[in-house]
Amino acid sequence: MLRVNVTDRSTEVIPTEPYSKRFIGGLGVAAKIAWDEIGSDVGAFDPDNKLIFATGPLTGTLAPGSGRMEIVGKSPRTFPKEMTTRSGMGGYWGAEIKYAGYDAVILEGEAAKPVYIWIDRDRVEFLDAGDLWGKDTFITQKKLKENHGAKTQAICIGPAGEHRSRIATIISETSFTSGKSGFGAVMGAKRVKAIAVRGSGGHISIAHPRRLINLVSHCRDLMGYNPMREWTVGYFPPDYHFRFYEKYRTGNGSCFGCPLQCFAFIKVLDLDPGQAHCVSYYYMKPAYTYYGETPEGDRAIWQGVVLCNKLGLCTFEMTGMVPWLRDLFGAGVIDEKGSGLPLSRYGSKEFIVELLNSIAFRRRIGDVLAEGAARAAKTLPEGWSLYEKYYPAHGQTEHNSVRDFPGIALLWALDSRDPMIDHHAYRHLSVSRQRWPEPHGLSPEKAGAISEKIFGSKRAIDHGTYEEKPGAIAYCQNRSAVINSLVLCDWLYPMFVGQGREDRMGDTGIESKLLSAVTGIEYSEKELDRIGERIWNVQRAIMVREGRTKEEDTLHEAYFRETDIERREKGEAQFHTNVASDQTKPIPRQTFEEAKETYYRIRGWDEKTGHPTREKLIALGLDEIAEQLETLD
Amino acid sequence: MTTLGLSEMNGRRRQSLVANPAACTGCLTCETACSLTKTGHIFPEMARIHVDRDPFEGRFVPHICHQCSNPYCLSACSVDAIGISQRNGAVLIDREKCIGCKSCQRACPYGMIVFDEEGEKSFKCDLCGGNPQCIKVCPMHALGMAYFGGKVPL
Repeated sequence: MLRVNVTDRSTEVIPTEPYSKRFIGGLGVAAKIAWDEIGSDVGAFDPDNKLIFATGPLTGTLAPGSGRMEIVGKSPRTFPKEMTTRSGMGGYWGAEIKYAGYDAVILEGEAAKPVYIWIDRDRVEFLDAGDLWGKDTFITQKKLKENHGAKTQAICIGPAGEHRSRIATIISETSFTSGKSGFGAVMGAKRVKAIAVRGSGGHISIAHPRRLINLVSHCRDLMGYNPMREWTVGYFPPDYHFRFYEKYRTGNGSCFGCPLQCFAFIKVLDLDPGQAHCVSYYYMKPAYTYYGETPEGDRAIWQGVVLCNKLGLCTFEMTGMVPWLRDLFGAGVIDEKGSGLPLSRYGSKEFIVELLNSIAFRRRIGDVLAEGAARAAKTLPEGWSLYEKYYPAHGQTEHNSVRDFPGIALLWALDSRDPMIDHHAYRHLSVSRQRWPEPHGLSPEKAGAISEKIFGSKRAIDHGTYEEKPGAIAYCQNRSAVINSLVLCDWLYPMFVGQGREDRMGDTGIESKLLSAVTGIEYSEKELDRIGERIWNVQRAIMVREGRTKEEDTLHEAYFRETDIERREKGEAQFHTNVASDQTKPIPRQTFEEAKETYYRIRGWDEKTGHPTREKLIALGLDEIAEQLETLD
Repeated sequence: MTTLGLSEMNGRRRQSLVANPAACTGCLTCETACSLTKTGHIFPEMARIHVDRDPFEGRFVPHICHQCSNPYCLSACSVDAIGISQRNGAVLIDREKCIGCKSCQRACPYGMIVFDEEGEKSFKCDLCGGNPQCIKVCPMHALGMAYFGGKVPL
């Protein structure tokens, strides 16, 4: 692992082995480093905060979905307070840093003036980024490729990160993004514009090449034909999204070495082309309402996507912020003159361009919005009452109909960020795939059989009840921790559903087999589950140290009340129309609290406080954390 | 390895990879699988297939060995280490004979000869003996096999 301090421009190579035995890699190793090195009193923008960019043993190998890496640090985005959390990122940078010979990069300190870091295997340089500062992410990366060769891979920030916007992202290529934890702002605070890597001549050793190749082909047979690819073509839902894709999709896109190919490569008229994903199309309905389905409308939509990526802003935040601004204008809280935004032309290209630029450069109302919608809502009169319907927890916009699905509500409440970004498998099994049409769909009977096998009960995926959910989500969290540590993509793993088989039965043991083939150390599925539990407990220990209480393991109170939100309106903000439902009922608080206590019991945590117990931590081999947590209590 | 000389190749059928840049998404699975098959490691620079990626234009171009019927690499080799497979017309390098002079690398107009600095030998695509791994793994079906040339079967 490479430790880089930008304050005194020093570097140090530290061994991964002391961490990897207990924590594998990726999230596990990064979380342990965060526990050891990021104090609970460190602010996100302090020089003492660190960003740990961690790959895992499977990153950059042939394993399907192995293009990802995990970033951990103190997040400026989490609300109401800054918490240490994680954020994943796909693309090609993870594989490249492995070729360069490093498992992780630990970024520390704060540079006096803008720098970028250039890693060419053993050579690590701090180069002046004066001429890159202020440039958008596309220009920055093109410039870096010019300076260091076309095969250079870079992660960088845009103007939003430089201006410490709490909703700033770190971007690689056109749309591989670490978004929801606001780490772009942390890089900006450290004045690090980019980390460019070239691993020429490097390689990743594989213990059993033949076994790996056979496993990969088994994996891909099990995956079957991938409906996700159809989804980016606009198969779901067959409406104006579909027509947009038909017109502008030039091909698919993907992370390193992945058969999923879940991105769509879009080129809209004279605008910059790029890859895009589900959430990117947050501006589709407003634009089509304003312009109709015209080329001008298409331009506005794509401008909303590509400008976010160029400025380094989170598109997911926009799914809530954009309709919220319309509501604020409608209620007379803000006006055009004061805000500097053309609010009466909501849906127009001018509106979205002006909005994104004002946030990224902190102009006028953008200065408030750059703090993220949740923080901004608290400062504007009536802002919060208009915003809260979009907001389940953690300062992040709703993702996957929290109100409707007990399992998903619990996942949200018990995490330190939006969990649905790395727990897709549970949602796929219990919701999404059952809504997809044949031949890609999953009948309720088959889903039930799978649930029976994995969770021991059909009710674990029945969204009418909170029963059986705590155990199921604890299992999903453990598996998610394993996947984020290997690092694999959670769209594919854990492979609950085997689309390639008639009975749709997946194989949850695949990760351990892949890991054994790559490392030569034999792991069983049970062992990995155990490691996952250990990693989740480290994350929980960090949360507890930062003051997380049982009372805070909850959703925003609006979710325990009736809502007036029309789900159709929500669909306008989110592309996820296929998972939004018409449910407006409140979440039953009593049942919810009981389910939480059951969850603590299953976890072996204290039911009264929600803290991991000393016995549990020691049983998981986390003695030092048990000691330190105890002195805290 | 039984190989043919240039004159014997005349008029025979041969096999070669074909690539479709329009379908390629630049995911590098082919490079990864090729290097894993050929070297036992994930070692993209030693892959016998290469992809040029331009993510900002969406231009992804796979570069393959064309198994030329009149190969420049074969002509350039001073020690007769390069021959043409009797079975499928693949242009092969004999590792025993190769002296690592890089003449073939300089001669190839497509840049498809890779050089192993450690072992000091040249390598190139050998069509995996007729069952190329890159074709098998390409998720976009951007790679395939084609037959070229005369009627005389190999």
